[in-house]
Amino acid sequence: MLEMTSDQSQVAKTQRKQNHRDLIQKFAALGSLVALVIAFSATSAAFFSVGNFMTVALQVTSIAYLGVAATCVIITGGIDLSVGSVLALSGVVAALLVKMGVPVPIGMLAGVLVGAMCGWVNGICITRMGLPPFIATLGMMLVARGVALQITGARPVSGLGDAFGELGNGALFRISRIGADGFPDTVFPGIPYPVVIMLALFVAISILLARTSLGRHIYAVGSNAEAARLSGVNVQGVKLFTYVLSGLLAGLTGCVLMSRLVTAQPNEGVMYELDAIASAVIGGTSLMGGVGTVSGTAIGAFVIGVLRNGLNMNGVSSFIQQIIIGVVILGTVWIDQLRNRKL
Amino acid sequence: MSADAVLEHGADSGSTMPQEILRLQGIGKRFPGVVALDGVDLDLRAGEVHAICGENGAGKSTLMKIISGQYAADEGAVWYRGETARFSSTSESQAAGIAIIHQELNLVPHLSVAENIFLAREPKRGLFIDYRKLNADARSYLQRIGLGVEPTTLVSTLSIAQQQMVEIAKALSLNARVLIMDEPTSSLTESETVQLFRIIKELRADGVAILYISHRLDEMAEIVDRVTVLRDGRHIATSDFASTTVNEIVARMVGRSLDDVFPTRQSVPTEQILLRAKDLSRTGVFGPLSFELRKGEILGFAGLMGAGRTEVARAIFGAERLDSGSIMLGDTPVSIRSPREAIRQGIAYLSEDRKKDGLALSMPVAVNITLANVRAISSHGFLRFSEETAVARRYVRELNIRTPTVAQTVRNLSGGNQQKIVIGKWLYRGSRILFFDEPTRGIDVGAKYAIYGLMDQLAADGVGVVLISSELPELLGMTDRIAVFHEGRITAVLETRKTNQEEILHYASGRTHA
Repeated sequence: MLEMTSDQSQVAKTQRKQNHRDLIQKFAALGSLVALVIAFSATSAAFFSVGNFMTVALQVTSIAYLGVAATCVIITGGIDLSVGSVLALSGVVAALLVKMGVPVPIGMLAGVLVGAMCGWVNGICITRMGLPPFIATLGMMLVARGVALQITGARPVSGLGDAFGELGNGALFRISRIGADGFPDTVFPGIPYPVVIMLALFVAISILLARTSLGRHIYAVGSNAEAARLSGVNVQGVKLFTYVLSGLLAGLTGCVLMSRLVTAQPNEGVMYELDAIASAVIGGTSLMGGVGTVSGTAIGAFVIGVLRNGLNMNGVSSFIQQIIIGVVILGTVWIDQLRNRKL
Repeated sequence: MSADAVLEHGADSGSTMPQEILRLQGIGKRFPGVVALDGVDLDLRAGEVHAICGENGAGKSTLMKIISGQYAADEGAVWYRGETARFSSTSESQAAGIAIIHQELNLVPHLSVAENIFLAREPKRGLFIDYRKLNADARSYLQRIGLGVEPTTLVSTLSIAQQQMVEIAKALSLNARVLIMDEPTSSLTESETVQLFRIIKELRADGVAILYISHRLDEMAEIVDRVTVLRDGRHIATSDFASTTVNEIVARMVGRSLDDVFPTRQSVPTEQILLRAKDLSRTGVFGPLSFELRKGEILGFAGLMGAGRTEVARAIFGAERLDSGSIMLGDTPVSIRSPREAIRQGIAYLSEDRKKDGLALSMPVAVNITLANVRAISSHGFLRFSEETAVARRYVRELNIRTPTVAQTVRNLSGGNQQKIVIGKWLYRGSRILFFDEPTRGIDVGAKYAIYGLMDQLAADGVGVVLISSELPELLGMTDRIAVFHEGRITAVLETRKTNQEEILHYASGRTHA
């Protein structure tokens, strides 16, 4: 009995230590976000305002969509490098269809489906052909970008009409009044649709990962794929799902982004995959698989977004910004490493 | 050449009186919240095989880590070759002549045998590795231990037994005077064990002192000179092995006497056939072979490692390919192409490597217990956490799994408790046919007893159990019938009550007539 209690208290102790470290990790990302906000508020008067928060939220949307998808892929132990190219292809396809006279919603839906299709191809290459995720999605990165450039002749697609810009520029609960001068006067700018979609994605994917059996299987595959397979988990199916989801959300990102610009740029989204992966990693997702949360990734996306926005407002050059973001990624992953060190 | 130096040195010390080479006095080690070692004494003589016995958590591995310099002792002193020693890393203890061979071997799979033996000590010619000398030196050590592989062979192509021999060759090349072996036979077949023992005896004759940690008391008689028992971090007794019985050692280990290592079987096999495997084969691996499993029966799979036992089980479970043959569950023919389908049919397989194949180590106890049956704790695809917790708590209680909570990460638990979690997973899935592949490997005596009891309970509940084991006493103690494998075929199916170790070995070595 004596042995049993000492045995158990040691195990309990180890677990407490682990929980402690998890908390530090969560706090590290959230804490640095709060610190950034305070620092930028102090250095720039315009930073701490409702308007600027909306701007940051809007700027973060692309990273957030892609980051949430990357989180699911990375939890299974995979990686998706193709999302930056896939979003360009999806946006371009949507724009070309609209240009051909297809109604905007259907054009955009087709764009999203093209993204999902790219993700499906990635998944098939990985699960059926046995290619490493890094290679399969690297290939797709080149193919999708190439197709986007080819079908547009490398030129932006413009003249798409106001309806095409609605998704990216419209807002929920916008209140306007006709002013004395006859022009509309915006009382409340509303919540931009891209931000609404972002919040919906945070909630939906968070529930998917934490509360559904599919989410449970996603974690199990990343923790130990062979043990999951021998426990009857459809490992290939789970992996395929995460790549399709990743492609689908890349497609959505493309449509939203092009809609915001009301122009489809085949060169849009270069290196976005790295921002997505960075936001997931800053938020505590482990590239070894099995670990990660949507809330962490959301914080990670905002850390990157706030950094960019705040540094911009302080007149820091984009080159210096790159250096700072790079150092932030190294720092947070180092903290992650500390957390995973043997107890 | 250094190999000769070892031989000469060994011959000298072998002829003199046994001399003390290592002495530990009053060693104490505390970890937060637990006393791992408390006043442990140990003396090791040149040219002896000294066994360390104790249940999991008794402090064996902590003691080894203190000797090899991985941990620093909080109390007590270490003398090595007459001088006080305080190694602060394994490289220091290695340089002084103390080598340790871990249960999980530490070789680089993509390097050659020779490169592994001399890793980080490669002979150089200028800036470059002198491969000719490297391979020649390696060859001399390989010859010395009688391992017939080329020095240029990649380690990844070797069997576990051969890899272990490479580790021993590496220890010799380090001029080791003390060799610590942690569960060296746990993954060896009987014939490989015989070979290992031959090498251990040679090393002993050369004056090497060997600290031998093992759970397998029955095989110690052949090589062990003295045995030290640890329990709860304390030194219980050291005695000559020849003057001690296995029962006495077990009694010291567990602090009580175990009348028997195996529980009395309560279950009685029925005549109803659960599983009928006919002419199963996979080219070059096993078959054709046929067997039947009855309801309430424990059927043993005996044979040497590599005889195809695991492969047959995994093929029936759908985890590996089956080239031909038919499987019937009761009277229904089934075609199983994946573990998912097998599980749906009520078949379960407990892997011999639970860490690699059985558990999601980074996930909690509750997740692992419900992993094969997530659907049962979900409604409309959403998990019901209260149900999950209740299920996990039930199995933790029923199987006596020692864990503070069901939210505990599985990695932090002991081997015996991890194995019980895997068993709990299949119990919750409600499997009708269970394959246990080496279920007690690396598990202490007390936990073994509990797992045997569970198998018996399962059989009593009408489950058909297949027990794959390399330990003949285990097969003889637990099964109703034993199918003996040799090179992918079943050479005999024996009634356990009417057979013995000799007969099983006879068929396992390929002879078909008694």
